[in-house]
Amino acid sequence: MRIGIVCPYSFDVPGGVQFHVRDLAEHLIGQGHDVSVLAPADSETELPGYVTSAGRATAVRYNGSVARLNFGPVTASKVGKWLDAGQFDVLHLHEPVTPSVSVLALMAAEGPIVATFHTSMLRSRTMQTAYPIIRPSLEKIAGRIAVSEDARRTVTTHVGGDAVVIPNGVYVDRFAGAPRRSAWMGTPASPTIAFLGRMGEPRKGLPVLAAALPEILRSVPGLRVLVAGPGDPEEVTEDWPPEVVAACEFLGSVSDDDKASLLASVDVYVAPNTGGESFGIILIEAMSAGACVLASDLSAFSRVLDGGTAGAMFANEQPDALARTLVDLLRRPERRAELAAAGRHRARLFDWSVVADDILAVYETVIEGVAAAHLEPQGRWNRFLRGGAR
Amino acid sequence: MSEVLSWVFAILFVLVVIAWYLSYKAARLDRLHVRLSGTLAALDARLVRRAEAAVELANSGLLDGATALILANAAAESLEAPSEHGDARELAENDLTEALELALTPQAVSTLRSTALGQDVLARLASACTRVQLARRFHNDAVTDVRRVRRTWTIRLFHLAGYTPMPHTVEFNDDSPEHLALV
Repeated sequence: MRIGIVCPYSFDVPGGVQFHVRDLAEHLIGQGHDVSVLAPADSETELPGYVTSAGRATAVRYNGSVARLNFGPVTASKVGKWLDAGQFDVLHLHEPVTPSVSVLALMAAEGPIVATFHTSMLRSRTMQTAYPIIRPSLEKIAGRIAVSEDARRTVTTHVGGDAVVIPNGVYVDRFAGAPRRSAWMGTPASPTIAFLGRMGEPRKGLPVLAAALPEILRSVPGLRVLVAGPGDPEEVTEDWPPEVVAACEFLGSVSDDDKASLLASVDVYVAPNTGGESFGIILIEAMSAGACVLASDLSAFSRVLDGGTAGAMFANEQPDALARTLVDLLRRPERRAELAAAGRHRARLFDWSVVADDILAVYETVIEGVAAAHLEPQGRWNRFLRGGAR
Repeated sequence: MSEVLSWVFAILFVLVVIAWYLSYKAARLDRLHVRLSGTLAALDARLVRRAEAAVELANSGLLDGATALILANAAAESLEAPSEHGDARELAENDLTEALELALTPQAVSTLRSTALGQDVLARLASACTRVQLARRFHNDAVTDVRRVRRTWTIRLFHLAGYTPMPHTVEFNDDSPEHLALV
């Protein structure tokens, strides 16, 4: 199958959508499909062979945050050339409601079009002004995918109609095979737990964990807390009690390999996020690595953890609930092993091999629909009108 | 005189703009109708494939006789009217979904999984069920889009939809059998 994928965000900086596009493209290429990705990138950025650069991206404010996108007549003609050269069986756009190569490709393209909606935080004001402009183009999308239930809700409320939910994929085996590191492994007297994420960002939940720690340390004095992620430890720990600071070890930003090893080594991985998570890919990574997961009961997390069967949950933003559940887990190794095994099993559902099959089924359905439509007899008048619509 | 001429040109200009707008609207609607007929054909094809997979399961000899009969009957009902749409068709597809759910008990699934033929049939059925869900979702999306555009006043006033009947969403239970996914 010849597949064209359009990523609106620049490949110069890492991001969820970019990773999704890269992993999907590489998986499909591995299966023998012919894949080309169009994305903005600087000329200096080293790009994989399957990526075509749509030119340098500009930082613009859109939908309440700064995004690196590109647009304008030069970009539009590049998009047109890429479409002409590709002759794709199916075109897969990501985030079609951004002022970017995605929307330009949508306007220029004919034929089977699939679109994936990633964001769950579209502002209604943005949508109201943007809609009249792109609504006719959005009608060309024959198959809509949402990466989470929240993203799907955005589609149903703002775009109308519905979308199939196909989650983000994870290369489960990369995490499942991660070596354990003795420095990060706990002992019965001194178990280890891990926190991952930006320390300074309250919604990642480090303050909740810090508030729970005094209580936890009373029950498990030897506990070691491994904190990985960007941020300044001194600034974050300013108001923390000294015994809590003493229990924490700050690892700073870690590489992907280190992250996998950390998740595989610790006794419990804690995700105290307080909100704004539409999916929770980090939970799946932890489950793949074989960690016992303890997460706040956000709806996105609960869906990933299958309502608590593949990992423990505590009431969101309640340090005492976190402390109670964590101490219980630390005291019962057999319970941890049980949850870790259930997590490993469940993580398989989110492996790229499963996710990409679902996406391919969408491609096939859409291609079949368009092919069937073209078999219908067409009058000259119809063809004339459709030609005029371009 | 020149005043009259400029009036004539002004009116002509307005008429041309209106004509362009109407043809643009008509083209947009036509494109939607084409998409709609395609998604409906795709849904039909997927439903036929699901029914065929159900027939294959019924004939596999791996189900007990009574269950196989119920399943074969439901599948035949679905295959009998492939191009018909409406309540009767939706009822038939509902029945097939129900029959599949009934047939695929945990024991039946594990029996089927123990043979190569059974695994093959189950895999085909699982894929057919997922694809029915996708095709129905995408068809209903197209219906929603068409209905929204056809509600606008220009389309109604100028009768741009012609005599194409107003499409309706296709509603039936298309859940995959609960135990089919068991590994």
